[in-house]
Amino acid sequence: MNVALWAAKTGLDAQNTQMAVIANNLANSNTTGFKADRAMFQDLMYQNVNQVGSQSTQNTQNATGLSLGTGVRIAATEKSYLQGSMLQTGGSLDLAVSGNGLFQITMPDGTLAYTRDGSFTLDAQGNMVTASGYPLSPAITIPITAQSVTVGADGTVTTTTAGTSKTTTIGQIQLANFVNLQGLMPIGGNLLTESASSGSPQVGAPGTNGFGTLSQGSLETSNVNTVTELVNMITCQRAYEMNSKAISTTDQMLQYLTQNLS
Amino acid sequence: MDRGLFISMTGAKQIMQAQAVNNNNIANASTTGFRADTVSFASQPIYGPGYATRVNAVAQDNGVDFSEGALQSTGSSLDIAVNGPGFIAVQGADGQEAYTRAGALKITDSGAVTTTSGQAVLSDSGPVQVPPASSITIGSDGTISVVPLGLAAAAQSQVDRIKLVNPSIKTLKKGADGLFYLAAGGKSPTDETVHVSSGTLETSNVNAAKSLVNMIELQRMYEFQIKSMNSTDTNEQSAERMMLTS
Repeated sequence: MNVALWAAKTGLDAQNTQMAVIANNLANSNTTGFKADRAMFQDLMYQNVNQVGSQSTQNTQNATGLSLGTGVRIAATEKSYLQGSMLQTGGSLDLAVSGNGLFQITMPDGTLAYTRDGSFTLDAQGNMVTASGYPLSPAITIPITAQSVTVGADGTVTTTTAGTSKTTTIGQIQLANFVNLQGLMPIGGNLLTESASSGSPQVGAPGTNGFGTLSQGSLETSNVNTVTELVNMITCQRAYEMNSKAISTTDQMLQYLTQNLS
Repeated sequence: MDRGLFISMTGAKQIMQAQAVNNNNIANASTTGFRADTVSFASQPIYGPGYATRVNAVAQDNGVDFSEGALQSTGSSLDIAVNGPGFIAVQGADGQEAYTRAGALKITDSGAVTTTSGQAVLSDSGPVQVPPASSITIGSDGTISVVPLGLAAAAQSQVDRIKLVNPSIKTLKKGADGLFYLAAGGKSPTDETVHVSSGTLETSNVNAAKSLVNMIELQRMYEFQIKSMNSTDTNEQSAERMMLTS
């Protein structure tokens, strides 16, 4: 089959995938704690038509050769773990991590998932849960008698009870970090799970050992840069058009051939 | 039979291959660090009894356009772009040292620094390894320093240095995997003058306008060849008719 057609076809495919990534980033430009993806392009194998340097006779070598590239593919999509900006909300259970670290969330099946989205609420038992109702791990349970909740920069959760001046420490929020953050698998719902390439989680208290600190009353916004995405969208569209043009030109060449040599 | 038909055929065949090279360049217009391929043709006269009037077209060795792409700021500390001439040394599929301009690096769970396609990045003493780290910085000479996971920022230490080379582009060839190799084999020494900038990536150096004009030119050249085949055919037919009437 004609390499010219297929090389351009792989270009269309890859640009189409990139457009999907850009569209998803733009759609999530208001998602709390969202980390932007980017598509990584990679050229496909080259096909040797004439091997340069092959022996033309026992004593001589071919001085000429030709290898044809067979196109492009999206090798990976990578998340950018750059810090999003801080949005002040004032909510006492809105937490943002400033620096490294992810909140640990217990999934319904008992496994752990990780997130940068710190918009917690309370469930009927007083547990701190995500918007989807999955509890924070280790579990933090706010007693019903608590009047106010304070989360310190180091993750310590303290409450005050009506009628007393004493504060009670009820737990400490722990963060997790990974050797290869890009290796985490996004599963939707602002959650990421550990994979074979992410390495195992390193757990620690905020503010210690290179972990970021928590700030109460703020949320981390999406780190999608809409200007970058729009510029990417333009380049993606033009590249798509060029590949489409390459296909139609190759088609016209073949058409010319079949129409004029019959 | 007039051999002219076959001459045109070699022309058409080579032009279609050139179009494939051009289409591959266009397909890779978004590939980080991609270097456009060029193709050239040579005339190959056919020697034999009589005067060598018939000249076939054969594809010459294809070259690579080593001009630099634009730098794109990404902000990620593991993205490096080579400033000016030079390459990042990586380990090719067969263990041979290969060179690339695509500096979108990542770290595997075992701490190896690799490119997007998974080739290990090399230092002077083998593949680069970094300990689990909370922050990684790549200096302009390729030096990697990390803050090990679980330690304070003051514990920053230098772990390794990415091998940056600058072999003469005449000695390089593009392998089947798209990486560059020294045509004569072997390794290129580290070049201290090559610098990288962290937080940026180099785009493909495919020139969209040039590729599109090239595409049109190749299309028209292809049509000339077909036209020429057509004329040869018409000549044959005329000759045949003449034979029949006489």
